[in-house]
Amino acid sequence: MTDPIRTVLYGASDKEISFYQSLVEKHGSPLLLFDSSKLKQQYRALQQALPNVDLFYAIKALPQIDALKELDELEAGFDVASSGELDILLSLKVSGRRTIHTHPVKSDKDIRDALRFGSTTFVIDNLDELKKLQPYRGRVGILLRVSFRSENAKVDLSKKFGCTEDEVANIILQAEQLGLHIKGLSFHVGSQCETSDQHVAAIHSCRDMMLELNKKVKAPLSILDIGGGFPADYALESIDILEFCKPIRAALESLPDDWHIYAEPGRYLIAPAVTCVTTIIGKSIRYGMPWYYIDDGVYGSFSGKIFDHAEYPLQVLTEGKTSTSVLAGPTCDSIDIIDEHIELPELNIGDLIIGHQMGAYTAATRTRFNLLKEAKFIVL
Amino acid sequence: MKYFKETLYDAVCQEFRVDKMYFEQKTEHQHLMIFHNAMLGRVMTLDGIVQTTEADEFMYHEMLTHVPILAHGAVKKLLIIGGGDGGILREVLKHESIDVTQVEIDKAVIDMAIEYLPKHSDSAYDNPRANIVIDDGMAFVKNCSEKFDVIIVDGTDPIGPGEVLFTEDFYAQCKNCLNEGGVIVTQNGVPFLQIEEVKNTYQRLNQHYTDATFYTVAVPTYYGGLMTLAWATNNAELRNVSLDTLEQRFKSANLNSRYYNPAIHLAAFALPQYIVNQLD
Repeated sequence: MTDPIRTVLYGASDKEISFYQSLVEKHGSPLLLFDSSKLKQQYRALQQALPNVDLFYAIKALPQIDALKELDELEAGFDVASSGELDILLSLKVSGRRTIHTHPVKSDKDIRDALRFGSTTFVIDNLDELKKLQPYRGRVGILLRVSFRSENAKVDLSKKFGCTEDEVANIILQAEQLGLHIKGLSFHVGSQCETSDQHVAAIHSCRDMMLELNKKVKAPLSILDIGGGFPADYALESIDILEFCKPIRAALESLPDDWHIYAEPGRYLIAPAVTCVTTIIGKSIRYGMPWYYIDDGVYGSFSGKIFDHAEYPLQVLTEGKTSTSVLAGPTCDSIDIIDEHIELPELNIGDLIIGHQMGAYTAATRTRFNLLKEAKFIVL
Repeated sequence: MKYFKETLYDAVCQEFRVDKMYFEQKTEHQHLMIFHNAMLGRVMTLDGIVQTTEADEFMYHEMLTHVPILAHGAVKKLLIIGGGDGGILREVLKHESIDVTQVEIDKAVIDMAIEYLPKHSDSAYDNPRANIVIDDGMAFVKNCSEKFDVIIVDGTDPIGPGEVLFTEDFYAQCKNCLNEGGVIVTQNGVPFLQIEEVKNTYQRLNQHYTDATFYTVAVPTYYGGLMTLAWATNNAELRNVSLDTLEQRFKSANLNSRYYNPAIHLAAFALPQYIVNQLD
């Protein structure tokens, strides 16, 4: 896997410039601009790319109320991982029946909170976790998460969670002996996948395991949760999701008609719906290079650079001869650098730098370090 | 909201058409609704679970109330824990010789029920024989110096605000509030789908009472068939009162009931084997 290369756009139309400038004049800086029409567009596109798949938005990507409202109106499902995420859905009066609880490790209180909310689907990946559900066995539906290691995903989620393929049959048969029914399998091949090859391979493996198991178990497995991994367009290459999902669609065609397919998209849906607007607040020449300090950084909206290994496409509003520069965030820490080798034209204090595709794992993972004011969330 | 879908079980759910929303309250941790449904009348739900409907509440309230009272035969003081909708209070007050104390944790529930579910309490809250205490049920029984002949626990699902009312400690404290030969009855879920509740409650009651069992009532909107009502006392004779005696008490009480009668009272203690198997 190669390090992600950042895309930089130079220049902007007069209309774009005045759009960003007027928002900063009105609301200050930094800003996160939410465009619900983009979210809707992404949701519809993914629905079209994955027909007959129930989409559960991974709230963790951006647990923001306006985004959740839009998804609620689109009748999306929600993938929750904590009691806090349930609380935000409760405030929207989303029915628990439209949610799945996908955290493989839960406390008894997490389980009870979820059941009280009405979320009855849980994910496990080992027998200890399974036993936690035994007191609630009549009420819950259980998915077993299987791990398929992915080499081309940017974030390998299979290291921390998921049982191996070898363990699947044993866990399912043991569950049956304990009086617990496992209703299907789930997997997560990782995030920001370059191709859908891993999805396809995992679908085929799960299909074969489920068909084989269904010859042995009393109640059949009928649900396959194909997780997420649908890519955001960080290179601004106009990813064709219909094309990306074509092999997945073909793989899903090979499943029995009466199976239910779930997916947990987060990044793909929300990334392009949020744009970050920052302002240069300081500049200097260090080690012979221009340094620009902006008012948001890796402890804030750019936190995904650290936690998510994401290099967001940036836009400077002016064109001109560029030189290799450093773009740094506002905190006192030296790690707070967004890019150490970025080609930038000469910029001035007060100039704006725009971050695109900044909806997923950005504001969600920011910290309160230095008690800097967080970027204001503006609904367009 | 156009339809209410119950969220109790993963694999099945019952759906109600919402014909008119009367009341909806959403706090940080709970979601309460009262709406009208053409078939069931007013329906109250809490956290996605049906609590009561006007059409079938009589089955539940009459059985939870009249079975212990007529079995005992000489109830003077009765304690209700929970029951904010007023249905139990209404039924208890039909027995003219009984003074009743009701402990409800949240006055707002009573106020809301009086306004939006008026048929449940049917003015019972105005009756001078009713002493209403706003307190935590557990705290009340712990600190209570009074004794009662019957305790009726009308709580919510064990996953939720009524959780403490299913604990062994609570059952033990209740024993201290019962007169000699008194009886406690509690709502205990639908065992076909929640068999653990029967097992747990039986084991907990059995620690503190010499005669613990269940009796049943089938409430249509509590999906899953029979509902169990837990029964615990130190007077085993209470569930063997003869049909003749019950008939006399029933006649003199003049209850005007729609579900309860002495024959179904006795029959309700006959348990299907899948429940009996949990009692050991």
